[in-house]
Amino acid sequence: MRRRVVAMAVGLCLSVPALALGADTIKVGASQPLTGRFAFAGVQLNQGLADVFAWINQNGGVKGRKIEYIFEDSGYQVDRAVAVFKKIMAEHKPPMFYGESTGQGKVLAPEITKTYKILYGSTSFSSELANPEKYPYTFVSGPTYSDMFGVLLEYIAKNPKGSKPTVAFFYSDTEFGKDPIPYARKKAKELGVDVVAEIVTKVGAVDVTSEVLELVKKKPQYVIIHGFVLSPIPQVIRGSRDYGLDISFMGTFWSMSQMIIDKLGEDADGYMGINPYAYYYETDVPMIQKIRAFNQKEHPDVKHRPNSYLQGWFTGMVFAKCAEICLENGWELTGDNLVKALESIRDWDVGGLMPPVTFVNHKVPVGRVYRADAAKKRFVPVSDWIRLQ
Amino acid sequence: MRIGDFKETYAADEALLRTPPVRFWMAAFGVALVVFPWVAGDYLVYLADLVGITVVSALGLNLLTGFTGQISLGHAAFMGVGAYTAGALSARWGLGLWLTLPAAGATAALFGVVVGAPSLRIKGLYLAMATLAAQVIAEFGFVHLEPVTGGIRGINVPPARLGPLEFSTDRALYAVIVAVAALGTWFAANLKRSAPGRAFVAVRDRDIAAEIMGVPLFATKLQAFALGAFYAGVAGALWAYFMKSVTPEHFPLSLSIHYLAVVIVGGLGTVIGSVFGAVFMTLVPEVLRGAASLARPYYPEAMVLLSPLTDVVFGGLIVGFLLFEPHGLAEIWQRTKRFFRLWPFVH
Repeated sequence: MRRRVVAMAVGLCLSVPALALGADTIKVGASQPLTGRFAFAGVQLNQGLADVFAWINQNGGVKGRKIEYIFEDSGYQVDRAVAVFKKIMAEHKPPMFYGESTGQGKVLAPEITKTYKILYGSTSFSSELANPEKYPYTFVSGPTYSDMFGVLLEYIAKNPKGSKPTVAFFYSDTEFGKDPIPYARKKAKELGVDVVAEIVTKVGAVDVTSEVLELVKKKPQYVIIHGFVLSPIPQVIRGSRDYGLDISFMGTFWSMSQMIIDKLGEDADGYMGINPYAYYYETDVPMIQKIRAFNQKEHPDVKHRPNSYLQGWFTGMVFAKCAEICLENGWELTGDNLVKALESIRDWDVGGLMPPVTFVNHKVPVGRVYRADAAKKRFVPVSDWIRLQ
Repeated sequence: MRIGDFKETYAADEALLRTPPVRFWMAAFGVALVVFPWVAGDYLVYLADLVGITVVSALGLNLLTGFTGQISLGHAAFMGVGAYTAGALSARWGLGLWLTLPAAGATAALFGVVVGAPSLRIKGLYLAMATLAAQVIAEFGFVHLEPVTGGIRGINVPPARLGPLEFSTDRALYAVIVAVAALGTWFAANLKRSAPGRAFVAVRDRDIAAEIMGVPLFATKLQAFALGAFYAGVAGALWAYFMKSVTPEHFPLSLSIHYLAVVIVGGLGTVIGSVFGAVFMTLVPEVLRGAASLARPYYPEAMVLLSPLTDVVFGGLIVGFLLFEPHGLAEIWQRTKRFFRLWPFVH
């Protein structure tokens, strides 16, 4: 008897998804860094994508068609990630794919352009990838790192703490760290912001005395830190506080999560940075309300979702939107049509998760400056949405 | 059961493949390699390419560490040097495989000789540290020699060319990789049973004794470094064509350690061990991941937990193999062969 119950249960488990996913699903593939050093974000990015598709499916899908999300772990290693891509493409042939890193995007680009021809989004905000001429099928689901610097510099130019605004760039010796720097130098010059120092450090450096001394010497009003997730950001901020420096430190997307506030505690007060999506605790934003409601229903024990989750959610919305535009116009779901759909998006209302979205060169160059409030343990907006021209 | 295996000429005794069954199976394997890209899907061809590149590189490390006993933590650096050489030569001047592969190997070999120079004075863990330094220096070089390496963004490598042929897909590149891997294996297998190869083993087993017997210690060690790095450089060049881009992030220290694991799991000091190690270390994680992904349609949440678990299982497998067969997969292969040689009789 018991065996039969088990058999039935197994049978049900096997048959339910098979029934739910009919032949005309819209497939989205993904290689996600669920393990490896990017896993802290990868797990959330993956959950964001999985959840947004589940949410869309619960609300009737895309023009009645369900989205099928096919993902696999790629461990933040290029060769594994490419293997996952090829495997999923061979087995499922999804017209849309979500990659795990800038590196994967670069390695796959020639083949995506020549052979696969699919719409390709990723975890990456690399400026290099937002280049429709070189990477016609790739998009960045937000501002690139360059744009993030642009937004921060515009904020600095408008809010100088003296007669002339000054800034220092503090970045890591990696592709991630160096990506926006040439653009940032140019942009600062245009805006009349003085770049008084550029400090390059290793990721995860612990002893940052010499870097802090450099700040003591140059006394910038603002320091934009980029290319790190956590270390050495807390060390640098604490170190400069010890010297009594009045510097506003600013971060970019990956260093604007709750982690940094938790790590810095009291010292987080005044830390600023750019985030392109509304935070999970901005409960007056309609889309955030929907995301929270979904999470309350599906993941009742989850109290907070970091901004990487919201990147996943937003990217999922972009995939669904492109598919929707294709279906509305009766276009076949191919990479070329999906790219055409992406480029046709104008002032798309995403419920306040971002301001109305228009893709410019396959990216959304917009963001908002937030400031950490240590007492409330959260980031509060200090600027309106800043859109780069 | 194999009987009646007599050698009547010296040539027959010296042949690489000495018995009809061995020749038969090798021929069958060769045919399978040729047929494979016509029947396999993209994913399998991709994996086969990856295995092939790993075989070439692992052969190099096995010659250096397995045969000559010179431990190297700089193997990824050697591969990187080769990859950058091939990448730069083909991206700038559009040179073909005829030139880029040997050039990649030669540059890496030169770098290997420099790295190996301290090996006359230092051994064991100390040499490991010296090669580790080479790895760090090379990584620094990849990032900072921007005019050649393209800095942090690396080089976008155009498809491999050979005269009028262009190898732009994994399937086309498969031919090149298999040919190089076969050539490399054949060379290593022959080297093993010739004077230089025996000199390597003599140096490994007791260097002082080797020197007394007339094996020039320094020259032999440098030869091993040059040869190991040459293999790695060629593998790196293949990697560059395969990945179509070279960045410093492709050749971290962890890759050097990965290759040490490949040759240890496969079997130190055996040619076939490099092949087995490459196959095992490349395919087992894929198989485990494939198994984990079977759960995806039913329990998507479980995937997030299962994925890290595959790494744990993989690590456990490696430890298990080492515990039960320290000589690696090559020894397990030998034992299996011995078992069938006399089957069904036991002695």
